[in-house]
Amino acid sequence: MHMHKFEKIWLIFGVGCLIFFLTTVGVSAFYLGNKPPSCLTTVNPEKVDQTKPFDKPGLHKVEGKDWDYELVYVAQAFSYNPAQVKVPLGAKVRVIATTKDVVHGFEVAGTNINMMLEPGYVSEYTTTFDKAGEYLIVCNEYCGAGHHLMSSKIEVVE
Amino acid sequence: MAKAELKTKHKTEIEDSSSLKGTLASVFLLGFFIIITWVSVYYLFVERF
Repeated sequence: MHMHKFEKIWLIFGVGCLIFFLTTVGVSAFYLGNKPPSCLTTVNPEKVDQTKPFDKPGLHKVEGKDWDYELVYVAQAFSYNPAQVKVPLGAKVRVIATTKDVVHGFEVAGTNINMMLEPGYVSEYTTTFDKAGEYLIVCNEYCGAGHHLMSSKIEVVE
Repeated sequence: MAKAELKTKHKTEIEDSSSLKGTLASVFLLGFFIIITWVSVYYLFVERF
């Protein structure tokens, strides 16, 4: 089959780009372990307050794990518990969150922490807080009349 | 008469050998646009915590 030289060039270019993009995403997923922030763990949504670690929301130092701190959040209409938290700069933190009632969002604005909290499921995300500043947590899943008032704050301090 | 007409039509079709330069340019323009947007979004993802 005759093919124009230019056609060969752009076919190689296109297929090459596709392979490059998919390889990058594949390495990121299977080698670096980047995955969606959910959700193999379940919790009884009616007994969240009695269930570990949600009986003590907030930042806790932990030993012998891949991360230094666990930041536990409980969401309910229309607030997060804790409402404000301070995280030391450079800390590797496992954010663990769930909801007591309906589906809520958990977006730390300006970061990659962006999860959906579903009743009965635990959403988790591990990251290193390596930029100081104040970060607003907002609900980005419409959850009711007070949805727009639902927020919390993380302060990353030295 | 009829034969002669057929012949002339045939000739005009054959002489056409179009250039693909414009197509190549637009394919690469679109390609680079896609690469730049993809890389910038991926960089944003990697840079933020």
